[in-house]
Amino acid sequence: MIYVEVGTRSLRSFDTQLIFAEQLAARGFSVCIDADYLPEDAGRGRIYEAAKFLVDPGENKAQTVFVLGAEAIDDFLLASLRNKQLDPSVPVVATGRFMTQQSYIAAKARLAYALGREAQVIDLTDFQPRPVLPSTSSPLVADVRPVSRRSKRVVPNVTLVLGSMELDNPETLSCFSRMSSQSGYNLKLIVSGAQNEAIKASPFHDLPTYLYTGLSPLTLAISTDILAMFGNGIAGVRMAAFAVELIATGGVAIDCTDDEVLMSSGAPALLGPKTPFALDGYLIGNVIGNVPQIVEQASKSQWLHTVDISRLETAAGLMAKQRQEEQDKPKTLFFPTNGVGLGHAQRCSIIAREMPDTMTKMFAAFPSCVPLVRREGIDCIPLVQRTDTKTNSDGNDVLTYRRLGAVLQENDTLVFDGGYVFDSVYRVIRERKLSAAWIRRGLWPEGRSRQTMLRRESVFDRVIVPSEAFDELNDAYSYGDHVHYVGPIVRQVEQSAAEKEQLRTRLAERFGRDFKQLVVSMLGGGVASDRSAQLQAISGMLEARDDCLHLVVTWPGSTVQPATFGWKNTRVVQTLEATKLSLAADVVISAAGYNSVLEMLYHRIPAIFIPQSAPYLDDQERRAAAMADRDLCAAITEREFMTLERTVADWLDHDGAEFYRSALNGFELPKTGAVKAAELLTELGARI
Amino acid sequence: MLAFERSNTPTIAYVIEPRFSGGTSAAVAAELPVAAECGQVVVHAITSRAFGTNQHVSPVLRQVLDELNIPIIWDAPRISADFVFLHNPSFLKFQDTLGTRIIARELYVITHENFLRPGGAEGFDVSSCLSQIEASTISLRKTLAPISPFNRSGVVDWLATSRVARQWDVLGSDWFNICETEMRAPCETPQDRRGRHSRPGFEKFPVIADLDSCFPSHSQCNVILGADALLNARVLRAHWTLLPFDAITVQEFFGMIDFFVYFTAPTWQESFGRVVAEAVAAGKVVLTNPDTGATFGKAVLTCQPSQVDTIIVDLIAQPQKYHDQVARSQSALQNYSAGKFKAMLSGVLCADSEVNK
Repeated sequence: MIYVEVGTRSLRSFDTQLIFAEQLAARGFSVCIDADYLPEDAGRGRIYEAAKFLVDPGENKAQTVFVLGAEAIDDFLLASLRNKQLDPSVPVVATGRFMTQQSYIAAKARLAYALGREAQVIDLTDFQPRPVLPSTSSPLVADVRPVSRRSKRVVPNVTLVLGSMELDNPETLSCFSRMSSQSGYNLKLIVSGAQNEAIKASPFHDLPTYLYTGLSPLTLAISTDILAMFGNGIAGVRMAAFAVELIATGGVAIDCTDDEVLMSSGAPALLGPKTPFALDGYLIGNVIGNVPQIVEQASKSQWLHTVDISRLETAAGLMAKQRQEEQDKPKTLFFPTNGVGLGHAQRCSIIAREMPDTMTKMFAAFPSCVPLVRREGIDCIPLVQRTDTKTNSDGNDVLTYRRLGAVLQENDTLVFDGGYVFDSVYRVIRERKLSAAWIRRGLWPEGRSRQTMLRRESVFDRVIVPSEAFDELNDAYSYGDHVHYVGPIVRQVEQSAAEKEQLRTRLAERFGRDFKQLVVSMLGGGVASDRSAQLQAISGMLEARDDCLHLVVTWPGSTVQPATFGWKNTRVVQTLEATKLSLAADVVISAAGYNSVLEMLYHRIPAIFIPQSAPYLDDQERRAAAMADRDLCAAITEREFMTLERTVADWLDHDGAEFYRSALNGFELPKTGAVKAAELLTELGARI
Repeated sequence: MLAFERSNTPTIAYVIEPRFSGGTSAAVAAELPVAAECGQVVVHAITSRAFGTNQHVSPVLRQVLDELNIPIIWDAPRISADFVFLHNPSFLKFQDTLGTRIIARELYVITHENFLRPGGAEGFDVSSCLSQIEASTISLRKTLAPISPFNRSGVVDWLATSRVARQWDVLGSDWFNICETEMRAPCETPQDRRGRHSRPGFEKFPVIADLDSCFPSHSQCNVILGADALLNARVLRAHWTLLPFDAITVQEFFGMIDFFVYFTAPTWQESFGRVVAEAVAAGKVVLTNPDTGATFGKAVLTCQPSQVDTIIVDLIAQPQKYHDQVARSQSALQNYSAGKFKAMLSGVLCADSEVNK
C-alpha cells in the first residue's frame, strides 16, 4: 500500500493528498491516506473523494511512502512517519519546492530524523521552474497520455473556471446563459461558493454550475474537452491539477486569465479572450473546429515532460501497472432507492425480468429490498440505510458510493430508480464513465424544488419515465431526446378462483380461525404518514364481526405499531405477496402509492384508498382522486374516519365494492411499460 | 619589524548569536571567563534570521556576561580584534549575508553544529554560511575549530569535497565544551532504573524499536524527560514515565535513575554531548552509541540498543563494577576542565600567524 503524506496539514494540503492519491490509484496502485489527515471542515465533496483512501493507523502495511509539500514539515508528519516504523526497504520519496538550499537540507534532515534513515527528496523546482501554481504543495503531475475524449459525445464539453471573476455585471450571467443555450457545445461553470450563491439568486439560476469540490480534478478532466480559465491566477490547487491533467490527457486549455498564468508557466494552452463576452465567438470560430490540430501541437510540448507522474513513480521504484484491457462482461446494475416501501426495487425487478438473460444484471439495494431482488434470482449488493444522526447524516451515502465504485467499471450501466439523485450515484457515473439511466416516476408533489430534483439529470444518458395510468397525472418535468415515456410498470400476478380459495383456507389454518370475510389493510409502514389511528379504527370496527379476518399487510421489515397486535380479529402479515392477498380479499384498504394503485387497477381489485402525504412523496392525493373521479375506487382522506367506517361496512354488508368492480372491469388499461423500459436499458447497455 | 603594534594582551572578539537556547550558549558562557583571563574580550551579538528580530539573550549567557561586566554589542557594522571567535556558523543558514565586516589577525569559527550528519548528508547549508563569513572577513588566517572527534570528521570530510577548502584551516585540537559540574558519588547499590534526558526534537530520539529495547517492560523504571513528541504522538508504554521537557529539574531526574541510556536518531549525532557529561558528573553510568561515546573516551560505555540490557544486568549484579565505571567516567571528565580549555586557548592565542616578521 502506498501512503500519501504531506508536510503540513491544512485543507489545501489535503486536496494535494487527494489529487495525488487519485492519480496513483488511476495508475493501478493501491493508495491510502491516514484518516488523521481528514480536516474537520473538509466539506461534503472532499469526504466522498477521501472515502476510498482513508485508513486507520496500522490498518495497512506501507510499501511506499510519498511525502508532498516537504518544503514545510511539521511534527505531525514526523510523528506519522516515525510511528509507521517503516522497514528499511520501504522507499520514502518526498517532493517540495525549495526556495533555498538550506530549506532542502532542512527538509531532508527532518525526514531523516523521523525515519532513522535518509529519504529521497525531490526538488520540484529542478524540473518545474515555472509551476502553474507556485505556492502549492502539490507536485502538479499527471499521467501523460492521449485519451479518446469524445467517443460518446456529439458536441464537446466546455468547462469554464470563473476564478476570481466578479459577477456584478448582469451581462456576464446573461452571456453564460446564451452560451449554455446554444447547440455547438455543452457548457459547465466551475464556481466558488459565493459565485454559486450569486448565480442561484439570479434569473440565471439554472446555469450548470459546479463547486470546486464538486468533483475531483481527474473526473473533471475526464468529462471536459475544452477548458477556459478566467480570473487572476489560478483558483487553487484543484483547478491547477484539473488544468494539468486535462492538458496531459489531450484536452484543450484556453488561458483567459488576467495574468496569463497558464501561458507563463509554459503549458501548451491557447491564449483566449480575457472577457467571457468574446469567448463564444472564439470557441466557435477558432477552437471547436480545430481541436485535433490544437491537441497535436500541444502533444509536442516539452512542458509535458515536466508534469509526467512517472518521474515520481520511478523515484519510488514503482512500476505502473498495465491498464486492464480486458474487463468483466459489461453489466447493468440497478440501484433502487428505498423510499418508503419497496416500490422502487419492485419496479426495477419487473424491468430487469424483461431484459434478455444474456445480459448481466445485478442490484445494489437497501437491506429491506434484498430478499425481493434475490428471489428473482438476481445478485444483490446490500447497501446501508440512512440514519438520521446529526453528525453524519450522509455517511450511508458515502458507503453506497464506495460499494458502487467497487463493483462498477467503465462500460457498465447504472440504472437509478429514485427521486433525488444522490451524490454517490452522480459521482460514480462521472468517475467510472458509466452509461446511466434514471427511472423517474412522476407526480412530484407541489412545492418540491424541481430545479433541485433535475440538477443532476444531465449525468444520465436516458431518463425513463414510467407513466401513470391516467393522462392528467403524467406531468413533464424535462424535455429532450433522452427522456423516454413508457407505459405503467406494474407487477402482475395471476390467481385462479381455486387458488384464491386455497389461499383463504391457508390463512384460516395459519391464524387458527375460520372467516367468511377478509379485509386487507396496506396503509404503509408509518414512515411517511402515521396511519396508526386509521388502523386502530378499522381494527376496532371489525372486532365485533366474528366471521371477519383483518390482515394488516406491510413489507417485510417494516415497523408495526404494538397496538396493532391487540385485536383478536386483526393479524399482521409481512409479505412480498400483497397482491395475492388483495386478490383473495373482500375489502382492500390501501395507500395510494404508484405500485399499489396500479396493482389494484391492473388486477381490477376494488379498493379504498387513503393517500399518504409527505414532502418527499409523490402526490398520492392526485392519484387517488384520478381513480375516484372515474369511479374506480373509493378515496378517503386521513381525517374522514366516519366515512371510512361507513364505507368499510357498506362494502362488507352490502357489497358496495361491486359498483367499483364493474367500473374497473370496463376500464381500458393502458399498455404496460416494463418491456419498453427493458428495451431501452438493453439498448443502452449494448451501445458500449 | 612588526607588521603592526600589539599589546601584551590580545583583543578577543566573540561573535555569537546569543539566542541559541542549547549547547552553544552554554559552551560560550563556560569559556568566556577563561577567555577573559587570556585577553581583552568583547562580545558581539548578531541578530540572525534564524531567531527573528528580538534581542533576547540566553539566560546562561546573560548571567556570565553580567558577572564579567562585559556588555553585548548588537549588530556592529564592523568588528575588529586580534582574534575573532565566531561560534556556530549555522545561525547564518537562513540568510545571504552576515551584515558585519570582520577585521582580525585570526578568525576562528567554532563549528558547534555538525557539518555532516551520520551517513554524510549535510547538516545545514555549510557552504552558504562559510561563504558569508569569508566574504565579510579580512584576516590573515581563517580556521575552523571542531569541538569533538565526530564534529571534526564532519568538518574534514566536508572540506574534502568543497571548493572553498583552501580558504580554511582546521584547528588541530578540539575546541571542546568546558564541563565543570560538581561531581556526585554513585549510588551504593545500583538498580535497574533507567532514563534519558534531552530536548524533545525528533533528532534526539532513536526509532521506536530501539527505544523499546533501551527501556523495556522488565526494568524497574524508565524515565524519559523531554518526551513531548512521544506524548503528542501517543507513543505510550505502560512501563515508561514520559515527562515533558521542563516537567522536572535535571537534578530531580538524575535522582530517579542509575543508568543514563542515550541513543539518538541514527541520522543525527550530538556535536559534543553536554547531556552525557552532566550524567557522568551526576554519578550515573552512561550507555550510548559509539560516535557519541568517542567524545568522552572511557567516560561512557558504548554499545547498540540491543546490548543495553546485558550491560545493565551485568553492572547490577556487580555493584563494584558499577562504581568503578562511574569513577573512571568522572576521572575522564577532567579532560574538559577550564584549565584544560585555557591551555588549548593559550595555544591558539600564541600560535604563530605565519606572517613574515
